[in-house]
Amino acid sequence: MNDYIVETEGLTKRFGERIAVDHVDLRIPRGSAFGYLGPNGAGKTTLIRMLLGLTTASSGTVRLLGRPVPAERAEALARVGAIVEEPRFHPFLTGRENLEIVAAARGGEAEGRIAGALDRVGLGARADERVAKYSLGMRQRLGVARALLADPELLILDEPTNGLDPAGILEFRGLVRRLVGEGRTVVLSSHLLDEVEKICDAVAIVDRGRVVWQGPIDAITEGGERTILLVVDDETRARPVLAGHAAVASTAQTPDGLRVELVPDAAEHAPADINRRLVEAGVAVNRLEPSRASLEERFLEITSRLEEAA
Amino acid sequence: MKLVRAEFLKLRKRRGLVALAALLTIAPVVIGYSALSYLHATNPADYGPAGGTDDLAGAVELLAQIGLVAAIIVGATAGAGDVGAGVFRELVVTGRSRLALFAARIPGGLALLLPLVAFAFSLAAGASIALAGSDQAPGPELLLRYGAWIGVGSFSAFLLGVGVASALGSRAMSIGLLLGWQLAAAPILLATGKLDAVLPNAALLRLEPGDAGRPLSISVTTAAVVLAVWTLVPLAAGAWRTRTADA
Repeated sequence: MNDYIVETEGLTKRFGERIAVDHVDLRIPRGSAFGYLGPNGAGKTTLIRMLLGLTTASSGTVRLLGRPVPAERAEALARVGAIVEEPRFHPFLTGRENLEIVAAARGGEAEGRIAGALDRVGLGARADERVAKYSLGMRQRLGVARALLADPELLILDEPTNGLDPAGILEFRGLVRRLVGEGRTVVLSSHLLDEVEKICDAVAIVDRGRVVWQGPIDAITEGGERTILLVVDDETRARPVLAGHAAVASTAQTPDGLRVELVPDAAEHAPADINRRLVEAGVAVNRLEPSRASLEERFLEITSRLEEAA
Repeated sequence: MKLVRAEFLKLRKRRGLVALAALLTIAPVVIGYSALSYLHATNPADYGPAGGTDDLAGAVELLAQIGLVAAIIVGATAGAGDVGAGVFRELVVTGRSRLALFAARIPGGLALLLPLVAFAFSLAAGASIALAGSDQAPGPELLLRYGAWIGVGSFSAFLLGVGVASALGSRAMSIGLLLGWQLAAAPILLATGKLDAVLPNAALLRLEPGDAGRPLSISVTTAAVVLAVWTLVPLAAGAWRTRTADA
């Protein structure tokens, strides 16, 4: 079995002169929660629409569950569930009837999964009400239930927490982790960095149609600028010591202490050397620790670097 | 079969559509025969029995005129209902063939429309016999021919609605366009008497069992071909659009 549940190569979508998705090479590992992260208008939904065969690619290739799309689209999508943008339903039908419609299109055992899927998203008791009466959050949950009818190996969820209240978001995170725990792969497209960081194991950052970084969340937050957080007894005396050290690029005051950014080619032992110099200068170092960048900081760093290059 | 049942479910749960379709098919027959019965009862010297062959022709023509509106509306709803609700893409992501999704709209819609038309025609047929009085009651052969004729008319109008709505992706626009054609443009063009060979309403009149009201310059074969073209071309356009459009 292929290690990647989604693979794209040079995937591109043009709308006239505008390139919405630009030569995307994406590899999504099986059995993970994968974030597809980018600002609004970055081409996230267009990429998902191409993966699912809702729109054709201008160039490039797609493989879903090891099968080429669109050549073997039907076989590939048989075990894929998806929410694309806001989930839509026939408002005059009940939640259950809406699922029956999709189960009829899926065929096979999908019809037998309706009750379980509704219970799983907490809609079992209200399944026989018309969808017109559902709140946005309930519609989102019904969308997840609909996606589960495929008994999916791969779930693609586009901005799935839109309209959910904080409790709903928390519940949703738990659901995604449980689905991943069952061996399924969940691809979460979002512009909400915090959400992706809390749910996902790996991430691809997309900007202006291009994937600019992809890998495990830990790797992205550990990469980038090297910084250390310093807490000392006398910051006034510490500052000139830091400014005179060759490994220090800049120093900034934060509520937690001094945030010291190291130069890109700083030696591995630079933090220890900084500590020694401070102590030799009579500054007591109460705390010195590598500062872990948040996904948000790394995201902004990566995308702003691209803007500067442009 | 499950897809067809799903299509039927989507249509029959639209209470407004079902009520309108019932109104446009059954009500004209009921109102027509009730009015004729009342006139005959109150003034038998001037008004003959409500039933009989002549009044059957009038009732079925009325059903053809108004019932075809119902057929167009049901067809357009079947054709563009999923796209209009944004549900079409949810069906496409199941991996099901788009042509299969399109094809299911036809039997699904007919399952709603044809029973209503058949019921309305049965009322007309029953009334034409029961209320014939001294007039000649229609025989089985004439009833069958009228039944087939109204069936063909409803079927072709329904397919036209499915095809145009699937091609345009808009129920409201399709209904507006087709009713404008059916109720305004086509009768005016028919009245010129010069376009019989291309007009679907001329073709339908040519196929009518009784007297069409004026001589028509086309053969039965030409009429059949015209009707087929008027249904198959929009259907093909609708199928193509369903298969190729972004969902």
